[in-house]
Amino acid sequence: MDEILDGTTQIDCDILIIGGGTAGPMAALKAKRKNPDANVILLDKANVKRSGAISMGMDGLNNSVIPGYATPEQYTKEITIANDGIVDQKAVYRYAEESYSIIEELDQFGIRFQKDQNGEYDVKKVHHIGTYVLPMPNGDTVKKALYRQLRKARINIINRYMATRLLTGESRIAGAICVNTRTAEFLVVRAKAVVMSLGAAGRLGLPSSGYLYGTYENASNSGEGYSMAYHAGAGLANLECFQINPLIKDYNGPACAYVAGPMGGYTANAEGERFIECDYWSGQMMQEFYDELQGGKGPVYLKLNHLAEETVAEIERVLHIVERPTRGHFHRGRGTDYRTDMIEMHISEIGFCSGHSASGVFVDEHARTTIDGLYAAGDMANVPHNYMLGAFTNGAFAGLDAVDFIKDVDFAEFDTGEVDAERTRVLAPTKRDDGIPPNQIEYKTRRFVNDYLQPPKVTAKMELAQRRFEEVRHDMETEMYVRDSHELMRALEASAIMDCADMAAAASLYRTESRWGLYHNRVEYERDDENWFCHTILTKGEDGKPAHHKREVQDYIVEIEDDEKDAYNNQRVTKSVAAE
Amino acid sequence: MPLAQTSTFVPVVVDKDLCIADKGCTVCVDVCPLDVLRIAVTEDGPETAYMKYDECWYCMPCEADCPTGAVTVNLPFLLK
Amino acid sequence: MNALFEDFDEIEELAAALDDPSPGARIMAVIDLADSADPAAIPHLARAIKDEAVGVRKQAAQALTDFDGPDAAAALVSALADSDPAVIEAAAISLTELKDPVSGDAILPHLDTTDTIKLKACLAGIKELRRTEAMGPAIDALQHSDNGVRTEAVGVIGWLQDEGSLPALRDAAKDNDTQVRRTALAALGFSKSEHAEATLIQGLADDEWIVREAAAETLAKTGSANCVPHLRSALGDDFWQVRVKAVRSLGKLHAKEAAIEIAPMMDIPVPNLRKECAAVLGEMAVAETLPYLEKYVDDPDPDVRKNVRWAMGKIAA
Repeated sequence: MDEILDGTTQIDCDILIIGGGTAGPMAALKAKRKNPDANVILLDKANVKRSGAISMGMDGLNNSVIPGYATPEQYTKEITIANDGIVDQKAVYRYAEESYSIIEELDQFGIRFQKDQNGEYDVKKVHHIGTYVLPMPNGDTVKKALYRQLRKARINIINRYMATRLLTGESRIAGAICVNTRTAEFLVVRAKAVVMSLGAAGRLGLPSSGYLYGTYENASNSGEGYSMAYHAGAGLANLECFQINPLIKDYNGPACAYVAGPMGGYTANAEGERFIECDYWSGQMMQEFYDELQGGKGPVYLKLNHLAEETVAEIERVLHIVERPTRGHFHRGRGTDYRTDMIEMHISEIGFCSGHSASGVFVDEHARTTIDGLYAAGDMANVPHNYMLGAFTNGAFAGLDAVDFIKDVDFAEFDTGEVDAERTRVLAPTKRDDGIPPNQIEYKTRRFVNDYLQPPKVTAKMELAQRRFEEVRHDMETEMYVRDSHELMRALEASAIMDCADMAAAASLYRTESRWGLYHNRVEYERDDENWFCHTILTKGEDGKPAHHKREVQDYIVEIEDDEKDAYNNQRVTKSVAAE
Repeated sequence: MPLAQTSTFVPVVVDKDLCIADKGCTVCVDVCPLDVLRIAVTEDGPETAYMKYDECWYCMPCEADCPTGAVTVNLPFLLK
Repeated sequence: MNALFEDFDEIEELAAALDDPSPGARIMAVIDLADSADPAAIPHLARAIKDEAVGVRKQAAQALTDFDGPDAAAALVSALADSDPAVIEAAAISLTELKDPVSGDAILPHLDTTDTIKLKACLAGIKELRRTEAMGPAIDALQHSDNGVRTEAVGVIGWLQDEGSLPALRDAAKDNDTQVRRTALAALGFSKSEHAEATLIQGLADDEWIVREAAAETLAKTGSANCVPHLRSALGDDFWQVRVKAVRSLGKLHAKEAAIEIAPMMDIPVPNLRKECAAVLGEMAVAETLPYLEKYVDDPDPDVRKNVRWAMGKIAA
């Protein structure tokens, strides 16, 4: 295993879905059900059984819009406010309207959502306007249940192939080039439509532990989706709106305050006082988290030690079996007990992830990108704050629309020279006798991301980042060396990470204002609605480097009152107090 | 420019006595999202699973899905 | 080149390996059968769940989670009599994953079992299938000596949402086990009857705080004006967890007369309680509470501050 073989196979399908985590399987199921004759392929660089962000499950939904608890209008309003207004509401609203039917469908798959003693959904109040949190008591079975459905529907699954570039022709999508992660053999897939669901760019910043894979996101989500979309010419929106999350220090997993919140847990400073809103993650909240850490009131903690034994036991039961079950091992190793100790928290390395922010490949309410026949869903598409349920729901939209798209088209012609060029690019590190291993290229890129791109953002630092990235890219392109096909996969990931680092710097420099709290805090600029109340779209320019343009925010379908627009800012203590 | 052989302490441990790789089991290798586990093969055929690459997200499918309880996921030393 | 696609092998071929002399190979066969997601695998798994090797039996019990229907359920019920606790546990978990009400056909005949562990697992399994035939056996099970059995029985009854079961649930609300009482009170949430409300009001005086908490919370669903004075008394409970639920329920019941009692609770140094009080004062929007709210408009606790400002806006509106 892992030796480097020579070979290329070409296959055809109607719809190619790249990424078998959350959105991908739902896209595949919906497409197949809508058109059972369609040839649908679901491809993953890992194994669909356990791939993606929810590899080990999910402990709950924090954006469920369930009739009687929240309305699509309330939800759309809340998401708009949390994202400082830069939201195309149609996609958010459609999600809010249709996600309940997805919950019911998932329930039928055997994915359980918490019910009360009468068998009704047990929605917990956390957010202010509506109530969106729905725990998942057996959330550890999500992937298993999804996989079962894929097998039942007889979806064609290809595991351990990594897509590296999209193919386009006739101004639309034509397919993808893929490499086997265990043999380095190539697979060219011609497809009439392609759905990208490759997850977040989670290996962008370097965790403070220094361990490359100790990331907040599943470390296999290394940003190939963003890189492929970029090279294919698709638009990427608001990449400067980074993902930064509160998490358990060193362990680097989510603290899941939204699980503990309804039971009375909260985030506290060294004095044991709550200092940030626990209701909703926003850039503003992260800014306050950052200020507390930097301002002498840290460390910052998840506080559960004021809760009763019964409650703590319940929280442990949920948090230690689902999503990141090694969390229990971690606390035991440190001798930390929720009953007596507060849990030290920190802020995560930066990443791209629409699940928790508003950046990603630009899509509309049908999950269509700016390239015909190319779709994106889940953490890599720019529907803001869509989390796991958004991935399922938008994945469904992508699958359904793709079935309509393929009706009237045949395979697009593409330039076969592109395949040859990609083979040369991919295999270059295998053709050298020695050189720099991918892990060192990756480490250096990511260390510079931390040094220069981690907010607060400073122009001069970001320009330095660009120079350093250029140097590392040169080393990567001329000297990277791999010994087997597994290392080749890491080399390809390093290349995607480099693309994402470039995009992160370029997008951050383009938007000359501050917005989204810490996510895009540019110290030299204030918020500037007059010039920057718009999406920023990054594309690949003529010179092969990032180019930018502005895109208007769609007219709202749910109006936001003037006094609500700054709801998050308005929650701050009066300025004199905050400045202390 | 030869490569160094720097050692690293890996987080995933497999109990050889419980592992049934010799019966054709590859469950842990299959489910790892980062593809870091392999089956050690000797002259007598497949022997046991082991962690070949220190690239672990400590996510635990290998431990949870192992049919014989042979796999233990520890936290990587750098962050434990 | 390796096979490109995951395969869909013939079930019979996969099942042949169940006769392999090596337990390891049989475990692999069970895993392959589970991955097939093909109902034709169920009879083979039913055979594997009786294998001589514990590992195979346990894997088969887990594998049946991937299937539904009376045959899968019957195999799982049979595994509840296994000699190995790990197999029983796996089968019990898989039973709770059944979705198809028809699967209950295989469970219902076993609800009269004298085996405590089996009864508990069968009750847990039938609960979500919502089979009305389970009501009688579940009510009988309320007399069982095992606390766990009685808790599961209450669950079955609660999910059936039948006003006819009220006397049973009201008895269960007086059970000597805390967990049974707590579950029974929560299960009363569906009822529109004043008897249910009366039982919940009694629950507010329970010795255990988690039972009082359940009572206070559930009254929001089923309570009327009758329970308001009792919820107001619960505002003085020794446990803040109970007070929080009482505040919330008074809010949901629009019991504005309680506002002036809730307002001074803003002074109690329990962050969760203060946050809830401010939110409920906003929902009630009673002008007399304004001075209490004004005190905390710049509270250092952002959740409290947010709710206070929102509440003041509601009163002003």
